Amino acid sequence: MPNISAEYLVTQIFNGLVNGGFYALLALGLSIIFGMLRIVNFAHGAMYMLGAFVAYYGALSFHLPFYAALIVAPLVVGLFGYLFETLLLQRLYDLDPLYNLLFTYAAVLVIEDLMKLFAGALGSPYATPAGLDGVTNLGFTVYPTYRLFVIGVCVVACAAVYVVVERSPLGARIRAATEKPELTQAFGIDTRRLVSGTFAFGVALAAFAGVLAAPNTNVTPTMGDSIIINTFAIVVIGGLGSILGSVTAGFALGVIAAVGAVLYPPISNTLIFIVMVLVILFRPAGLFGAAERRA
Amino acid sequence: MTLALIRGRRGALAGAVLLALGLVLPLIPGVYIVFAIDLVCFALVAVAFDLLLGFTGLLSFGHALFFGGAGYVATILIANGVTSFALAAAAAVLYALVLSLAVGAVAVRRSGIFFSMITLAIGEIQFFVVFQMSDVTGGENGLPISTRGTFFGLPLANDFAFYYVALAALVLGTAFAIRVVTSPFGAVLAAMRENEVRAKSIGYDTDRFKLAAFVMSGTLAGLAGVLYAVGNRFAGTEAVDWHTSGAIVIMTILGGIGTIYGPIVGAALYQSLDFFVSKTAIGDKTNLVMGLIFAVVILVARRGIVGELLHLAFERGPRLVEDEDAPDRLIVSNP
Amino acid sequence: MKHLRVSAALALAFTFVAPIGLPAGTSADSGPIKIAVITDLSGIYAALAGKGAVEATQMAVDDFGGSVLGRKLEVDAIDHRNNGPEAAAKAREAYDNGAELALDMTNSATALAVEGVAAEKHKLAIVTGAGSSAITNANCDRYTYHYAYDTYALASSTGRNIARQPDGKTWYGIVPDYAFGKAMLTDFTAALKPEGASFVHADLIPLGNTDFSSYLLAAKNAKPQVLGVLNAGADTVNTMKQVKQFGLDKQMKIAVGLLFLSDVDALPDVFSGTRITTSWYWNQNKAARAWADKYTKRVGGGLRPTDIQAADYSATTQWLQAVKAVGSVDADKVQQYLDGRQFNDFYATAGEWRARDHRVTHEMYVVDVLPKEQIKEPHAWFKLVQVIPPSRAFRPEAQSLCKKDW
Repeated sequence: MPNISAEYLVTQIFNGLVNGGFYALLALGLSIIFGMLRIVNFAHGAMYMLGAFVAYYGALSFHLPFYAALIVAPLVVGLFGYLFETLLLQRLYDLDPLYNLLFTYAAVLVIEDLMKLFAGALGSPYATPAGLDGVTNLGFTVYPTYRLFVIGVCVVACAAVYVVVERSPLGARIRAATEKPELTQAFGIDTRRLVSGTFAFGVALAAFAGVLAAPNTNVTPTMGDSIIINTFAIVVIGGLGSILGSVTAGFALGVIAAVGAVLYPPISNTLIFIVMVLVILFRPAGLFGAAERRA
Repeated sequence: MTLALIRGRRGALAGAVLLALGLVLPLIPGVYIVFAIDLVCFALVAVAFDLLLGFTGLLSFGHALFFGGAGYVATILIANGVTSFALAAAAAVLYALVLSLAVGAVAVRRSGIFFSMITLAIGEIQFFVVFQMSDVTGGENGLPISTRGTFFGLPLANDFAFYYVALAALVLGTAFAIRVVTSPFGAVLAAMRENEVRAKSIGYDTDRFKLAAFVMSGTLAGLAGVLYAVGNRFAGTEAVDWHTSGAIVIMTILGGIGTIYGPIVGAALYQSLDFFVSKTAIGDKTNLVMGLIFAVVILVARRGIVGELLHLAFERGPRLVEDEDAPDRLIVSNP
Repeated sequence: MKHLRVSAALALAFTFVAPIGLPAGTSADSGPIKIAVITDLSGIYAALAGKGAVEATQMAVDDFGGSVLGRKLEVDAIDHRNNGPEAAAKAREAYDNGAELALDMTNSATALAVEGVAAEKHKLAIVTGAGSSAITNANCDRYTYHYAYDTYALASSTGRNIARQPDGKTWYGIVPDYAFGKAMLTDFTAALKPEGASFVHADLIPLGNTDFSSYLLAAKNAKPQVLGVLNAGADTVNTMKQVKQFGLDKQMKIAVGLLFLSDVDALPDVFSGTRITTSWYWNQNKAARAWADKYTKRVGGGLRPTDIQAADYSATTQWLQAVKAVGSVDADKVQQYLDGRQFNDFYATAGEWRARDHRVTHEMYVVDVLPKEQIKEPHAWFKLVQVIPPSRAFRPEAQSLCKKDW
């Protein structure tokens, strides 16, 4: 165990918040899609990856700046998600929800392999946006400015989503549409569009996270692979369908994993799963989960 | 979920056909013997998986835990001096049994999608442990062994000999699975699938039944994994990778869940396609092909190949059939 | 119950059929002689070896005349897809169908798997693209040679080169917690010791970790003179990106354990300024360049060969010469001819087919990776820093764990 000073630990917590931010965004999107549509989107990690690639190819072919990519990529991937849902996924709604999981898994296989063929397996570099690529003096240490940016953006984005879903009229309509579709339709609300739109929004969130991730890590076709499993664990911990649960669990687990990584490195990659197992044993519905809704 | 394929004369005929195919498989020109061994192993794990998904309704995304884990245990034992294949295999299968008990106890507390996510996550724990314990497992380099040991005195070095031992395991495993699903235990599983609340209200401890089914499935999957690793004389990290869990899911559904024989066909098809793809320009992009096929199957042919064939042949249109619960009554069936 | 009884009886019957078995394939004595290039044709190592490796092998065959001992030569390209069992199965099949040599095996798992098959079939295998020193150490075998590089050579070359200097004494290790990483750490530590250098700390980082920020921050605080990045592939890319993000490359020297020309081609900005070891560089001298020009002309696209592709050509030529000299493809005879033989070609200087453990030794080269602005022509990424003679580069025979049984 290396010498751990207080400032080192605090810096690690910041690193944890960065990773936690990604987890929170992804868990959030996954939770929204499940909470509203009863679909577990296995392809969520693939959407995250597609977001990063849209940013990369956007920069390569159209000189798309980073800040524009933050808007363009979610739109593009959101549109793709909308089409995917309307043309394909919809057909499975009357069936056992396991089929949604399986179909989105098939989508992962296809999307990832297509990207491998298209982009090669080695990965593509994406530069940190100018202006954010230095370090900031936090007083106790210098810290990469871009990472601070990521933390800030994630917090703001999660807060914004929470407000929209839980407090806005649109959110209310979406929630009504999923709980009582026929009644909502009787009020003249197009539930079909709301459902598709929600799916699109969920994957757009994933793509947004992907763009944020691109400067930090290599943009590869398999970058969604490991993150989707971590995201699953986080939604189980937080309570699938609970926005508060996803965000809290995301940030918390990010910090826990980062701190664990320095205190005892060998378990850092399994810490999230161990916490998941503990949560299942003692609070099966998740920390914020309601009693398991009939899926 | 249909027992139409398994019961009675139809079942015996289907079994006999598959058996005949299995016996002659290695003799067919162009079929490489180790490919045949792999095929049999995946057929067995698919049967084990069907026991769980097809008859208990639980979608485990972590069967690589047992398939890969048991394979590693057997290989590690043989690499460290155990000469009896039976002993190494027994120890490995015991590992699968204990592991499935532990994992199952945690996982069955949640149902449906959560069960899948939990098995997936726990599978990852074993995956990482295999990499980290590289002194024992060889880590990412895998663990090669120079011998397959002896099976009650019979050296298993000859590939054909090993194939028939594996085939014997497949036959026994399939027979076991059929026995389970056609037994009173299987009937309770069917009742639970139909309406779990009602089954509970009658007094069945549904969690216990789910756990029992999970353990049976995991143990059988472990046996398949042992045969695969020892058959290839190599335990590799692919076997504990969650993509292998996914492949097992695909094979089973492709063949037809709930038909026991269907997954055998599904596994054979998957392996053959994978082999074919490996010879083409797209090389390791098997997932592209399998993903597309899987997507199509889920959309339009959910019952899988064998399931759909059965449905076409025997269950179309309204007709009088035996009521399976009360064989002396006839009911109108209009699926 | 009847089901079960019948099945059990049948199963028992099989175990009696089993001993009959059937003979394995036959080897032709007059058909073409096949070389099976077992490599990664479609995945992460496809640029490092892949089709280029097959081309290089074919080039060697063509340059040799296309035939030996009056029999035509054939090169088979086999995709192992980075899967150990698959590599073994395909190697078996290849040997059974007339292959006399298995070549390349980029990816240590596949190399170890094929090593077992070669021993079983009594046929030769020459590993070029894999790095595990176990191939000639604990796992050594009569029928397998390890031709290009291994983790020991990388560590001793890069390690000693940097540690010799007064500003290369304190190291911080970014080490992946799997077999490759642990081997690299052991080998680097051993290389550093005689020069009075050592690791002040080494983080064993578990697989799956993509964020190295915690460890890099710790490194920054520890203020070593050298950062040893001892991981591989995507991990190295992520680490290096984050190294540049934290500005660590301005604070200390960066040594990367494993890196190839194809990696730098793909991501030049990420790797610039690092020091690595390679077994061969296309522009290192006239002979190398002459061969590289021939290769580039043949393959097209302006791509330059990696050291693995060059090794495949060299190994093939060496093997063919041995077969011709011995007058047979018999693995035992060729192996006896090769053992102890010294040679020189465009790839290997001061080369020797070491008899003790089948580690093929030759000079290794410590190079710096140049930034884009400084290269004089496309793909000219490396600048030679030091030549390491084989006696210092590779594991000394006395330290080998190889239980030589031939």
